Amino acid sequence: MTSGRTSRLTRLLATVAGAALALTACGGTTGSTSAPTKVGPLDPKTKVEITWWHGQSAEAAAILAKLAREYEKDHPNVTINDSAGASSTDELLQKMQAGLASNTYPDVSYAFGSWAGKLAQSGRTLDIADLVKKDGSGWTEFPEAARLTAEYKGKVMGFPAVVDNLGLLYNKDLFDKAGVAYPNADWTWDDFRAAAKEINNPAEKISGTAYPVAPDEGATWRLWPQVWQNGGAILDAKGQPAFDQDPGVQALTFWQQMARDDTSVYLDQTGQKFEQMFASGSIGMIMDGPWLLYTVKEAKLNYGTAILPGTNGDHQTISGPDLWVLFDHKDAQRAAAAYDFIHWLTAPEQDVRWNVAYGNLPLRKSAETSPEFATFRTDFPGGDVFFTNLDNAKQARPTVPGYQSLSLNVAKAINEVLVGGADPKTALHDAATASIPDLKDQ
Amino acid sequence: MAITFSTGDLAQATKTSRQGKEARPTLRSTLTGWAFCGPATLVILGLSVFPAGWAFVLSLQKNDLITPSVNVGFSNYQTLAQDPDMFAAAWHTLFYALMYVPTSVLGGLLLAIALNRPIRFQWFYRTCIFVPFVASAAATGILANFVFDEKFGAANNLLRLLHLPQQGFLTDTHQAMMVIVIISLWGSIGFCVLTYLAALQDISQDIVDAALVDGANKWQVFRHVTLPELGPVTVFTTVWQMIAAIQLFDLVFTTTKGQPLNSTVTLVFYLYRMAFMEFKAGYASAIAYVIFAITMVLTLFMVWYGKKTKVEAF
Repeated sequence: MTSGRTSRLTRLLATVAGAALALTACGGTTGSTSAPTKVGPLDPKTKVEITWWHGQSAEAAAILAKLAREYEKDHPNVTINDSAGASSTDELLQKMQAGLASNTYPDVSYAFGSWAGKLAQSGRTLDIADLVKKDGSGWTEFPEAARLTAEYKGKVMGFPAVVDNLGLLYNKDLFDKAGVAYPNADWTWDDFRAAAKEINNPAEKISGTAYPVAPDEGATWRLWPQVWQNGGAILDAKGQPAFDQDPGVQALTFWQQMARDDTSVYLDQTGQKFEQMFASGSIGMIMDGPWLLYTVKEAKLNYGTAILPGTNGDHQTISGPDLWVLFDHKDAQRAAAAYDFIHWLTAPEQDVRWNVAYGNLPLRKSAETSPEFATFRTDFPGGDVFFTNLDNAKQARPTVPGYQSLSLNVAKAINEVLVGGADPKTALHDAATASIPDLKDQ
Repeated sequence: MAITFSTGDLAQATKTSRQGKEARPTLRSTLTGWAFCGPATLVILGLSVFPAGWAFVLSLQKNDLITPSVNVGFSNYQTLAQDPDMFAAAWHTLFYALMYVPTSVLGGLLLAIALNRPIRFQWFYRTCIFVPFVASAAATGILANFVFDEKFGAANNLLRLLHLPQQGFLTDTHQAMMVIVIISLWGSIGFCVLTYLAALQDISQDIVDAALVDGANKWQVFRHVTLPELGPVTVFTTVWQMIAAIQLFDLVFTTTKGQPLNSTVTLVFYLYRMAFMEFKAGYASAIAYVIFAITMVLTLFMVWYGKKTKVEAF
């Protein structure tokens, strides 16, 4: 190597090291610890522009854009830059991570409920607790699980965007063919297991039921209803993992027996195929939500819906409330506009025109009597079961920053048990142990 | 204009250096030079060097990109050194590379030789082999997911027709990685074939003729003329395929997501999981630096090997 080359290399290294040092200097300053901007009334005279990532594609995006234009017409000083924000709702989180790291985050973003704790921890969400807790704000009409999800340490970071829950979708033709009675509101998990076993037909490639085992929240949240029905909890009163106690072990053992002894469960390791396979008629019944109604209807499947099977008459389910999270840009007028717009969007009059028209459940019970909901009932047969099932969503997933990590650990345990044949008790115990550091870390 | 000036300066510089003096570039030639390489330099600085620097800073932090970061020194690297999941991921990546790199290079060579002969429908075969390479890995992965589906896939249907036992493919811990190797070979062998074809057509007919005149048979021509001529391309494709193997992510993401039982979690997929699912961007950056180090060492080794054996590939 010549000396000229060495010096060039040294210079290059020095440049890289210099850049790294410069970055260290600014690296520590991310995040804000000051109190969130106080959200006041919107000043109709000051021009303001807000960015809104709604996380929806195609049809839903068009409906929301139309509503945004309508709001702008009524509030000429407000401009709303609406976009999906990411190519899929799942990817919104990465976009928000990148946005928060580079200070280019939106004013309002759609967020899955399981992300809420982490986003609140950023210290860059607004607190609208004072506003929504005032009498007559309509806040208490939202389902409790949805309200709880938007709350973190007494602060409220946004509004419920979509509420849904888990129930059963079943293929009537497959039930008829196997001579099994359709699921009903009195079903127990034993009935569920027996029906799956009866319908399962490997020769004809028919599975009794399915479970998504990809290591993410899709696997985890399907276990929680049974854990709750068995009298268990995700976290105990001190915020420590409790899902690895007997109720959790019983729930996972149930699925282990179905998956490995009866082999009546299609274990979907992509977490995405099983819904399409149900729609195409090769799975007897699945634990799923109202978001699939559109797909099964399009597939012309002869289907029915029911609430989840119960344990000793307890049929509680889980609600997966998604949120409109409001972010703080240290600008009172932007904060006011963001709040006012989302407050307007989630009001009953607008909600029926967006959620209900699109096939989501209405955010409030009061929408039941609206003409839009009557259309929803005829357009999406079985949708009303999910609507009444909202009452069975009695508990919410904890809104804590460590939930995302806990969720992945539990999903991993489910995967190891159902796919790998591990012992449920040990797997859940390991998941609990692995979750402790991230739960503590707050 | 600039080109005229710079060639003039270059000629001047050559002349002065020939006279034995150190050529001092004029301000104008320096500026002209920078005008040429400036844009590219900015792109490289902005898109490669800057993120690389930032990633290194991140790797010294506990950082989820959402909450304020904490400087933790080298503890991410220390944790990494004792992380069994990391070693598992490294092992899966190594297994994949050992299966994928030699097969794709050798297979590419054989196919290129076959396609370099005057055969009927040559263009058709060449197109067939190259088309999958043009398709995105994501599309390839999604397609493969349906072909290799345990229950409904075409692969198992074919086995059934042939009265062979059904396979688990992507759901079998022992087969999943092999299936991914097969999918990536299908998707990327076109690249090796293309480079080898170009190299084969570059071999001067004169040398071959000379060897034939000297009485060499076909095999001897191949062994002593063709193969040595292909040396640089072989080093290049090996390095290239090796880097591709170490960076395997998209196929895993679209087929197995690391499943079954984490048997297909590769280094980059593990990095992705840490950064974007477990919110451990600092730890993930440390993994990125380990991957960088591995790639660097392997590449330097190959370049050194090429130099040693007098094969100039780069």
